[in-house]
Amino acid sequence: MFEARLVSSAIFKKVLDAIKDLLNEASFDCSESGIQLQAMDNSHVSLVSLTLRSDGFDKYRCDRNLTMGMNLGSMSKIFKCASNDDTVTIKAQDDADTVTFMFESKKQEKISDYEMKLMNLDQEHLGIPETDFSCVIKMPSAEFARICRDLSQFGESIVISCTKEGVKFSTSGDIGSANVKIAQTSNFDKEEEAVTIEMQEPVTLTFACQYLNSFTKATPLTNQVQLSMSDNVPLVVEYQIPDLGHLRFYLAPKIEEDEN
Amino acid sequence: MGILSLTKLLADVAPQAIKETDIKTYFGRKIAIDASMCMYQFLIAVRNESGQLTSIDGETTSHLLGTFYRTIRLIENGIKPVYVFDGKPPELKSGELSKRHEKRVEAQKALDKATEAGDAAEMDKFNRRLVKVTKVHSEEAKQLLSLMGVPYIDAPCEAEAQCAAMVKAGKVFATATEDMDALTFGSKVLLRHMTFSEARKMPIQEIHLDRVLEGLNLNQGEKYKNIEAILKNIDKEKYPPPENWNYEGARELFTDPEIMDPDTIELKWSDPDEEGMVKFLCSDKQFNEDRVRNGCKKLLKARSGTTQGRLDGFFTVLSTTPAKRKNDDKKNGPNKRGKVAGGRGRGRAK
Repeated sequence: MFEARLVSSAIFKKVLDAIKDLLNEASFDCSESGIQLQAMDNSHVSLVSLTLRSDGFDKYRCDRNLTMGMNLGSMSKIFKCASNDDTVTIKAQDDADTVTFMFESKKQEKISDYEMKLMNLDQEHLGIPETDFSCVIKMPSAEFARICRDLSQFGESIVISCTKEGVKFSTSGDIGSANVKIAQTSNFDKEEEAVTIEMQEPVTLTFACQYLNSFTKATPLTNQVQLSMSDNVPLVVEYQIPDLGHLRFYLAPKIEEDEN
Repeated sequence: MGILSLTKLLADVAPQAIKETDIKTYFGRKIAIDASMCMYQFLIAVRNESGQLTSIDGETTSHLLGTFYRTIRLIENGIKPVYVFDGKPPELKSGELSKRHEKRVEAQKALDKATEAGDAAEMDKFNRRLVKVTKVHSEEAKQLLSLMGVPYIDAPCEAEAQCAAMVKAGKVFATATEDMDALTFGSKVLLRHMTFSEARKMPIQEIHLDRVLEGLNLNQGEKYKNIEAILKNIDKEKYPPPENWNYEGARELFTDPEIMDPDTIELKWSDPDEEGMVKFLCSDKQFNEDRVRNGCKKLLKARSGTTQGRLDGFFTVLSTTPAKRKNDDKKNGPNKRGKVAGGRGRGRAK
């Protein structure tokens, strides 16, 4: 028996909105410690890793480890039927072939049940090595989303270069080129507006706009985003889900074509 | 050649070995293409109502048109193709080859008959059977490939064996062919339908040798070791083995084929020679110049700039849980459920 209850269904809606463009379907691994999802997009360029800790739920019970393959499009349709302040309960029997989502309105006067068929998915569990990143940038998530959106009008890829002074996002294309520089902020009054850079050595990497723009769909989840970069390893874009866990995106960099 | 119904057997016994994917997922990969198979495909498939495409002089151009457009399609999708051409046929296959020759003679006769009777459908049918890839076709294709900046290799013997050796040596990611033979030569990954036309919307089949063998509970050595044992054990009257069956020689053909050492091969992709292509295709073969120049631009564009990296190299696969057989669900009739508890038991009880 699996049961997880969360007072705000809005968090689930936001998570689904953030990942449903990259993944058509995914397996949710449920265990005593919480719910995890890890999947690469079809082209094996990006990876989504979602962790929701059991202690962040208002009620959580998982008797046996359970893997539920779900179509994210269908799941998103179901969550569209819930109001933001509805309480959501996810239920499944051990070895079940369906999962039930129950939405309760705030005053308990309306209760809706949605049952969804589970899917049988091929899945690969990937081991993600611990990396000490050369640069870790924390910045307002809305600002990052804005930059990605703006620059993607000019070119297909964005070059992110991080130095002690700040972070530079640049691109070029048919109409011209664009550069956005963000400096580290010295005032720490408003934590959610701060830009902080921890740097061991400078890094410059190139990424496809298309994927960055998909990642920034997670912006409504939280005020800050963390970008971790090292030479020749994937970029990690991390959004914290307050009190519940985190959503991480990994993206393989673009590489210079070598002639030989 | 080919192995009778191997694909079907695999689908039944080792479904996890076959994966259907999209051409877009192969960007950045180097892929060895069985060129002779390709040429044949083009000669058969690239046609108009009256048969193969020809220039004014009546020379066939189907193979060039095919090579031109399908190669552009591969490169546009970020794939780095290398074409491998057949060398001399192995001696052992001479019997099979002479049989084919006889069939061609028969087909020619049938075609003559159909032409006399004016039966267009029959004519088309036998015309297709008469298709043969000639030296001239291969040479022309090679000339076009070098103008396009795409490398090709002349295999000393069978192209599939050469492709497989290159996959094994890590020179390329996979062999693209329709012929399952490439697996028996030890090609780790085989791609089918790679060079099909876009309009057919055929998904690419990716077949992994290790998963095939796992599914069949064999290792590659055993596959060959057992023919003697099989011969001893089967009822020879019921299943008479072919006469003069030189299976030892046949085995050698697979385990120790005549190939060029993959380490000595250098693969290099370069910019296309636009003027050269225009001269070759437009003035000699009467292609439309705009289309050729357009194709050239596409090749150049695909070569410029950076390539998207893949995540596969960065992370290691810890475990794979393949989906349960889909067929089980179909057998269970109307209650189509994704994941059936105890479904396996029921499947067997039929």
